[in-house]
Amino acid sequence: MSLLDSIRGLLGGGAAKYGEPIVIVSGLPRSGTSMMMKMLDAAGIPIMTDAVRTADVDNPKGYFEFERVKDLEKDPDRSWVREARGKALKVISWLLKDLPDDNAYRIVFMRRDIDEVLASQNKMLEHRGEDDTTDDAIMAEAYRNHLASVRIMARKKPNWSIVEIRYDEAIRDPAAVARRVNEFLGGRYDVQRMVEAVDEKLYRNRKTA
Amino acid sequence: MFGLGKTQSIKLERDLYDRVKKIADVAGYATAEEFVAHVLEKELIHFEDAKNDDDIRNKLRGLGYIS
Repeated sequence: MSLLDSIRGLLGGGAAKYGEPIVIVSGLPRSGTSMMMKMLDAAGIPIMTDAVRTADVDNPKGYFEFERVKDLEKDPDRSWVREARGKALKVISWLLKDLPDDNAYRIVFMRRDIDEVLASQNKMLEHRGEDDTTDDAIMAEAYRNHLASVRIMARKKPNWSIVEIRYDEAIRDPAAVARRVNEFLGGRYDVQRMVEAVDEKLYRNRKTA
Repeated sequence: MFGLGKTQSIKLERDLYDRVKKIADVAGYATAEEFVAHVLEKELIHFEDAKNDDDIRNKLRGLGYIS
């Protein structure tokens, strides 16, 4: 480490230790993570994606994924995550636990009604030709417990900060949500373009009152 | 549970403790501690249930979100 780095470390604290934060878009699959990635992309935030998974009927505007994320749980080499510093990376909530601790994470966590999430996931499984034998009630309980675990984990991580965004609110009032996300990320981004990236027509599998 | 093991103290906010005490009395628990221990035991089962994890992993794998 150079003298300059040492001085930066003394003066900068966490920033010097962790480098530029990584913006993580997270949540259960089908909770609006791709929509949020599109909003961030539109706002001018660099996106870490390899575009291997392309747009389809379930995500007509694309997935914004990076393939190596899928291996986070199994692959002990997670050093590549550092390449996402200063960028946005989509990491589903299940894999948050596997993020290495040598980065700072600003996590935009998407929340959506669990029944809607499951309805959307089940449709996606059907489109992919996958069998699904687990009862929805069991999955709903498992997801609720998982989300509680994520909250508990978040409290213990000094290098994490989280904002929770409700998917239905993002659809209903995209301007308010865009402002909140922009503020969370430092207030440097184009809120209007974030708003324009929200497509209400893609809110399918909606629970009716 | 039920005082058979060594104990540790956990602090609760006063309001929460009052609610716990009230419900424990109504529900017939001997003490607020016994009620809290019972509720926690039931909840911890969910967090410790490895089958839950397998259900989630299978679902996420089917959806193409984990390898």
